[in-house]
Amino acid sequence: MPKPNDYAILFDASRCIGCKSCQVACKQWNDLPAEQTQNRGSYANPLKLSGATWLKMNFWEGLKPDGDPYFDFTRGSCMHCTHAPCVASCPTGAMAHREGGVVTVDQSACIGCRSCVQACPYDAVHFDEAKGVVSKCTLCYDRISNGDQPACVKACPTDALTFGRYQEIRAVAEERVRVLKERGYPRATVYGLNELGGTHVIYVLTEHPSAYHLPVALKEAEKRAGTGWLSAGIAAAILGAGLKFIVERREALKGGEK
Amino acid sequence: MIHVNMPNPIGGEHWGFWIALYFFLAGAGGGAYLLSVLYASESLRRVRQAAMMAFLAVVLGSGLLVLDLGQPLRFLNLFLSGFYPSSVMWTGSWFLLLAGAALLWVFLRPASRAAQLSAALLVALVVSYTAVLLMATAKPFWNATPLLPWLFLASAATSGAALLQLLEPNERLKRVLVAMAFVELGVLLLHLLWAYPQAAASVMALLAGPLAWAFWGFLVLGWALPIWLERRTHLAAAVLTLFGAFLLRYFIVFAGQV
Repeated sequence: MPKPNDYAILFDASRCIGCKSCQVACKQWNDLPAEQTQNRGSYANPLKLSGATWLKMNFWEGLKPDGDPYFDFTRGSCMHCTHAPCVASCPTGAMAHREGGVVTVDQSACIGCRSCVQACPYDAVHFDEAKGVVSKCTLCYDRISNGDQPACVKACPTDALTFGRYQEIRAVAEERVRVLKERGYPRATVYGLNELGGTHVIYVLTEHPSAYHLPVALKEAEKRAGTGWLSAGIAAAILGAGLKFIVERREALKGGEK
Repeated sequence: MIHVNMPNPIGGEHWGFWIALYFFLAGAGGGAYLLSVLYASESLRRVRQAAMMAFLAVVLGSGLLVLDLGQPLRFLNLFLSGFYPSSVMWTGSWFLLLAGAALLWVFLRPASRAAQLSAALLVALVVSYTAVLLMATAKPFWNATPLLPWLFLASAATSGAALLQLLEPNERLKRVLVAMAFVELGVLLLHLLWAYPQAAASVMALLAGPLAWAFWGFLVLGWALPIWLERRTHLAAAVLTLFGAFLLRYFIVFAGQV
């Protein structure tokens, strides 16, 4: 669990209007270049996060079973996990938790092995070809450590994004879900409380997280590696014994027949 | 690093051709050494030859890994930054370094049983960590089953046997190669079946998509043909088996990133 006093961002999908102010503010504050994009029939643009895009809004549009249209938005960026797979998989300590639970990468120590890129279940860490290192959302550590809000939060015109201490932010989220349930959103829920030890960015959603392709029941990278080592040990023992049998025992059997 | 253009319209992969080539080298060289210790420890000449092959494979493979980094000159950070056992990239780097040293020791003092066995343990760890590295990521095709270490170890046995066949063909190697080829295929098919519900896109890319050339190429040219040829010409069978082992690593590495 994040500590009560950790930094946290709440994204309240029920208040978001999909204006992408946050997406633009992120680019401006972090001095990230524009990307060539393409219209794919959705407002979601660009298609994926990248070394130059640390935050992008996802758009979910279609018809509900009863025929009513829906047009929902979710925030795509680093979730600043408590048991962050990117941190666990980093071989040099470049990717690490800073004060307040924020996950950032020290680009002067990063060797560009991309372990973290492969490990992130939110696809939030990306390789910067030009610099040869990875980059990601810093939760605007330069701003928040100076008492300011993250750029995305500051730019949000509808209070869909709020920033504060984890304990307060979580209480706001849980209260909001209670209200939403009363107002006819029975599936309203808080996302990020259980994922990877609790994330420092949490969502209020009106539908189940899977409706927005958000990963649930995530396994920590350490556990995945543990399973891997265990399986490798068993495999080495069994295959080794099998090989020994093929090489020696069959030889002996043949010898016996002769 | 030079971008190798092989028929792979996937694009955007973070670990590509050079990583697959390294996996293959570590597997084939390591497999050859393990087999030589297992079945021919009485022949010091053979153990010594295999240790040199494995050493060269490890050195060449490590070179590829370093060049593939975004910041190749910072590779020393892997060894100097600290203790990160949760990172498979970190543990693997140490195994590689130590296995290289142990193999050199075997080459210089082939009669030392301590050298032989410590090198064998480290080489087995090098061969398996490549699979654990993939399993510890967020990619469903790699982490949905615990079978990748089995696949990589079995493939190390077939390709290692093929390498030794090139030196001096014999009956036992032939049996090892054929038996392990069947284990390898069984594990591969089980993995595809088991991973399918979570990684349908990857499995389809292998069976009938952009990676089908590598998958079917492995099955026909790198698996079925060498088994058929094994009775007729050792040399062609060994070369094709090695080619197949490379294709196997190639499509496993790429399919995870579809």
